[in-house]
Amino acid sequence: MFDRLGEVVSVVLGALALGYLIYEIDRRKRKLSDLFYLLDNEDADISAELMDMVESGELQPHTRGGRA
Amino acid sequence: MAKTRSGSRPLMPQNAPPVNEGAVIELPVRARPRKSKPSGPPRFRIFIIDSGWNSVARRVLRHNFALVRRLHRDDSIYLLSRKRSRDFIHRHRSLIGRDPIIAVHDLDAIEQHYGNAGFHGLHLHLGILRTPRQVLTALQAFARFPRVHRESPDLETDIRSELRREGIVGTVEILLHKVPRVIGG
Repeated sequence: MFDRLGEVVSVVLGALALGYLIYEIDRRKRKLSDLFYLLDNEDADISAELMDMVESGELQPHTRGGRA
Repeated sequence: MAKTRSGSRPLMPQNAPPVNEGAVIELPVRARPRKSKPSGPPRFRIFIIDSGWNSVARRVLRHNFALVRRLHRDDSIYLLSRKRSRDFIHRHRSLIGRDPIIAVHDLDAIEQHYGNAGFHGLHLHLGILRTPRQVLTALQAFARFPRVHRESPDLETDIRSELRREGIVGTVEILLHKVPRVIGG
């Protein structure tokens, strides 16, 4: 009976470890792709506004003497 | 009163003009010709959007901005003022809480896709990071990446494969460190 219980505990612990691993990998993956976020057509309006600011002269490139 | 050195070697040559104590002596600056590498048209346009949250990321970015600027001197960097950043984020609410943001536009991709319809760059959302070390690591990765991939014909693929590689490294890291701890190792 104790053998059986031991097996069950091992399987449960193994499943928990695997579940945690999958959760952690997924969490890191999401965080990484949120940190380095690739721009596509969904973000076109954001980028277009920035580009318009440059084209209209509203934004000027930062020069060495400028403030950060 | 300044101490005078007593030694065999005089500090000033005999025929040097007398110098008042406390006067600043300007050392001759050796004029070194600047090495200017001929560079083509800029590949990237970089925008920094920071509405001014008093965050770790803001402080790290400010401290390292000069270096980032120097490393990207071939590209134009545009700094949005605090007010302009606030207004901008107000119009694009998905960006709230993610700034400081470094937006990199790939001008080659924009030209290829005739605008910004497909992939056209990336955002580095520094505001989601919590510790100075994380921010610095991300900033260093950012500083390295566009320089290394400046000539890349397909930046999107490069970034995706780099992220995948980072993901694999992260997985190995978890396997080596976290799982043994979780299962009582």
